[in-house]
Amino acid sequence: MTEEQREQVLEAEGDALSRAVIGAPKQPRSSLGRRVRSTASSYGFLTPAIALVITFFLVPGVLLLILSFTDLSSSNFSDPWNFVGLSNYERLFTDPFFPKILRNTVFYVFTTLIFFNLGLALVLALVTTNIPRRQGFFFRLVWLLPRLTPSVVYILMWKRIASADPFGIYNQFMPEVLGASGGNLFLGGSPWSFVILTNGFIGASFGMIIFTSALMSIPDDLITAAKVDGANTWRIIRDIKLPLIKWPLLFIATYQTLSLLTSFEYILLLTEGGPGLFTTEVWALTAYKRAFSSYFGNSQWAYGATWAVVLVTVALIMAIVYVKIFKFNELVEEPRIENL
Amino acid sequence: MKRIGTRFRALIVLVMAFALVASACSSDDSSSGDDSGSDTTAATAADSGSELVTIVARCKASPPTEEGRCNNLLRGAVDANAALEAAGDPRRVQVDIIQDNADWGDYNTEFELASSAGEAPDIIVAGHESIGTWATSGIIQDVTDLIGNYPEFGDVVDSLWNSTELDGKRYGIPQDAEARPMYYRMDLLAELGWTQAEIDALPADLASGAFTWEDMFDTAEAAVAAGVVEPGNGWWHRPKNGPDFLYYYYSAGGELLDESGALIYDQAAALKVYEIVADAVDRDILVDTRLDGDWTSWNAGVANGDVLFWFGGSWQWADWAANYVPEGGEEYLFETTGFGPIPALAGGTNEPTSLTHPLVYMVSKDADAELALMVISKATTKELNTEYAVTSGHLGILTTQADYPPYTDAVFLSEVGSILEFTTFLPNSPFYSSWSEAYFLGIQAAESGTSPADAVAIVVDQLQNELGDNVIIK
Repeated sequence: MTEEQREQVLEAEGDALSRAVIGAPKQPRSSLGRRVRSTASSYGFLTPAIALVITFFLVPGVLLLILSFTDLSSSNFSDPWNFVGLSNYERLFTDPFFPKILRNTVFYVFTTLIFFNLGLALVLALVTTNIPRRQGFFFRLVWLLPRLTPSVVYILMWKRIASADPFGIYNQFMPEVLGASGGNLFLGGSPWSFVILTNGFIGASFGMIIFTSALMSIPDDLITAAKVDGANTWRIIRDIKLPLIKWPLLFIATYQTLSLLTSFEYILLLTEGGPGLFTTEVWALTAYKRAFSSYFGNSQWAYGATWAVVLVTVALIMAIVYVKIFKFNELVEEPRIENL
Repeated sequence: MKRIGTRFRALIVLVMAFALVASACSSDDSSSGDDSGSDTTAATAADSGSELVTIVARCKASPPTEEGRCNNLLRGAVDANAALEAAGDPRRVQVDIIQDNADWGDYNTEFELASSAGEAPDIIVAGHESIGTWATSGIIQDVTDLIGNYPEFGDVVDSLWNSTELDGKRYGIPQDAEARPMYYRMDLLAELGWTQAEIDALPADLASGAFTWEDMFDTAEAAVAAGVVEPGNGWWHRPKNGPDFLYYYYSAGGELLDESGALIYDQAAALKVYEIVADAVDRDILVDTRLDGDWTSWNAGVANGDVLFWFGGSWQWADWAANYVPEGGEEYLFETTGFGPIPALAGGTNEPTSLTHPLVYMVSKDADAELALMVISKATTKELNTEYAVTSGHLGILTTQADYPPYTDAVFLSEVGSILEFTTFLPNSPFYSSWSEAYFLGIQAAESGTSPADAVAIVVDQLQNELGDNVIIK
């Protein structure tokens, strides 16, 4: 038996064995039928997810868009579909406080993101994976507490700490210690600090968990090899750990940017966008206030929807930009080593 | 494998325990999610042949002082059932109440959305100004023709009915009224060097217009300079939007409604208001962060003697006594705190002023108005309303309370009631809410450093954008 004949026999035996093991029919169906079945199966699995997206995102999104072209508010409740064209958009972009709210939003999103959701999260992950496992677990658990605490309770605690004297504990004692006058040094004096701190402590825990998981999956032999080569801790972090957790870093940056852009509940509870004139008011809070909140209940649903539509549009554009800039497709493609 | 199995079993047990606790918590039918709890009357449902009608009432009330607002309906239902029985009517009412202390804006929005969804409560208690919006949008009922069927309503003070009217029709029943005075700390005035005679004369000076808004600012500035109060604590207004800011506009000579009922924004009067608040900040009487929305800190500050002058409401007196003063309750307040009408504003009307903001019971569009009004009528008695008024610091709404000892014996109510002489009201216009938001934006702007003239321009811009032809810019 020649070498070529031996290979043909082996191949035939291998095919027969494969069919026996997986129970495949001896006569394969046509490739078209297989493709149809495969496609139908894929869509079958995707159907629940598609239905959820259509029901809870696409339909509300379209309704929101339609609503933004009406003038629906409490005062014309009985006539809900009075279309007014682009006048809500014109009003939004000529609002004298539009630039201030935009600046506030950019400041809030990127300051919280850089210093807490990415920065502090990374520091916490690095520190807690470099100490004994049990202690690391304990400290991560402590840093999860803000996220585990109900938002109203969490903000109430901060208000107890930072509100004006005599309600706020710090303002009762600290101004004297610091030699300052006035009983509203903290939340009243620097509201942004507290808005960013309260949101940042919650955001940091999410990144901390993801980064910790990524750091702990780095093979020990890489670190050991680096140490053998004389690398110090900083070099190991900079040249080994950070490059290896690039994907989680970019994911957190993207996810948290979009999350911060649309979050407002902690600001609403802490400062209501104040004190004073839109001091800590961000875009999502304005949308909420316009649509649902005013002292005498004048809900301007259509105008609030307009703010929300612009916000959703900005968020979608940012998501696309992130995907392109960070080259997510390359990051999620199969490891090249598997293709060798 | 065994390890995984053990963990899985532990997880199942944990989930089951959680489900058990959750189901136990939700099994109580009477708690329907509100903070202060819902309650139900013990209606005579057991009577054979009776037809039980459930009426849901929604109230905003600050606990514990204002809870009579809805609780009186529970008590009224008992009398309503007795009346139905006596009349041989087979129907019986059961009142379910939903009572909490939500913000007014959220509370009103909740009612609007519930109405849209067909799930509105049958009775809602809200500020009379909501009639403008809600009657126009058809979510509350015109009860004009039904009021005469209930003799109890004949006891309501005539002038209060005006607050329930829109285009000559009545859309509600008055529930309470209040005075909005200027309060001051007598001990701080004494510390500043005022004699006891001067302090005692202050209410009369306020009422006569001898002590003006400018005098108040001068005194507050002197108190800050002398260290009697901290900078920014010479005078406080409320920490967020509300009816009070309207009397500033009235004091400055502002007109709000023309003869046809259209809203007016008087730029000269508004400018005067914005100049006042900007001046207060410039003179360190008021901090530019006073509009921080934090009622708790605000109440704690005024009740504990941190502030010399402040504009508040009569109901807050009861709240401070119950929840805020260090000790001594109302006695402490009488020793330290005085009150009078809002001082006259030179260059404006030159008259002292105040504002009354009656709350009214309204009946939603799909409710049984006849039964709802019967329950409300049984809660509109001098006994129940007096108990509520004395507990909550609100004024009586019935003529018979004028010589009803439990009411007349309440010292605070008797004294603060005199401020009604100077009172004003909010309008029942469907556009007032937008007007108020815009006008308040000007106050926020002026207090935060925007020039008063620019604040007026901002407000005019917003009013024209939002209300168009529905507001007259004067």
